[in-house]
Amino acid sequence: MQNTNLDSILESRRSQPHQLIEVLQDIQEQHGYISEETMATVSEELGVPLMDVYSVASFYKSFSLKPRGKNVITICTGTACHVRGAKLIVNQANAQLDVAPGETTDDGQFTIEHVNCVGACALAPVVTENGSYHHHMDSGKLRKLIKSLESKDTEENSND
Amino acid sequence: MTQQVTLNIDGALIRAAKGTSVLDAALDFGICIPHLCHVSNIEDIGSCRLCIVENIVNGRSKITTSCTLLVQDDMMILSNTDKIRRLRHNIAELLVSEAPNSRAMQDIALRCGVEETRYSFRNNDCILCGRCVRACTGEFGVKPLGFVGRGKDRRVEAPFNLRSKLCNECGRCIDLCPMVMPACDGPMETGKERLCGNCESKLSDTDLTLGYCVGCYFGEGIQCQRSPINV
Repeated sequence: MQNTNLDSILESRRSQPHQLIEVLQDIQEQHGYISEETMATVSEELGVPLMDVYSVASFYKSFSLKPRGKNVITICTGTACHVRGAKLIVNQANAQLDVAPGETTDDGQFTIEHVNCVGACALAPVVTENGSYHHHMDSGKLRKLIKSLESKDTEENSND
Repeated sequence: MTQQVTLNIDGALIRAAKGTSVLDAALDFGICIPHLCHVSNIEDIGSCRLCIVENIVNGRSKITTSCTLLVQDDMMILSNTDKIRRLRHNIAELLVSEAPNSRAMQDIALRCGVEETRYSFRNNDCILCGRCVRACTGEFGVKPLGFVGRGKDRRVEAPFNLRSKLCNECGRCIDLCPMVMPACDGPMETGKERLCGNCESKLSDTDLTLGYCVGCYFGEGIQCQRSPINV
């Protein structure tokens, strides 16, 4: 399954080193993370040294080198969000899910990350959950958000 | 035939081949601009910032690294003004606080007039000069070594932190690393770092003129081109 995916991403981009970032973005989008094996394959197929692939993948924060959970909660800790209490939100998330930023819960449901700016400083502090933005967050709102995501997951599981 | 240009470094008119850097031209002429990440015959990236100079363009001075600045006709370069010395002093201070355990760093700090540092010592093993990364050729010209991460997490690493098959074990990365020579008294423990200042005793008073190359022994740790060992 994964290999056919990779094939379709690499289709018509083989031996074109300048396509590296686009390829990595597509892999990130489809697989959720970039594994060591995919990096090796990309390096062979595009003709880019493995070192360069690894450098690029580790440089950008939007590429994840570890598998991510089902729900990705990204907390903005940029200047505006920091001033308006992003630290409290990070602490709330750490305490509620019992994971450090950048890590995934043991059941694979949640990943917490923090980024330096999401470009919505007027709405600070901002938290994005699976790509949707939540403005003016505080620890109470985040607790409710995580609760609702948890209950959504258990509902889905019971329906299956 | 290579084109020659004439430029002015610290008042001296110097002829140099087009395409060489200002740092190379100055070193060839005998003007010592302190440098660390520069290795001859390898491309420069200006990562240590020690070789900063003032480049006067239209009466305005621009501060830039001389190793990445290519020579041009009628250039005006000042390498030893008060401003440059002050800036370089600060850079040397930062470097020696990052890695006090290196003889090269201690030598540079002394040579740039650092007597105490305002920053806390970090005792790192790497100052990210990139000498190893740039010197590495690897098997088939494919590098097994490079910079990983960014910002304060930037470090030198092989892919996935494993020894790569592409390493041809030439050892050049270790030869060029400024960290391999510990300070004269031996390695310092964490929490006991200091500026050793040992090298001061090796120099006579005239040699202590800051910023001028006297062919001192300080180049050993970084393989300075003008170090007497290499001559």
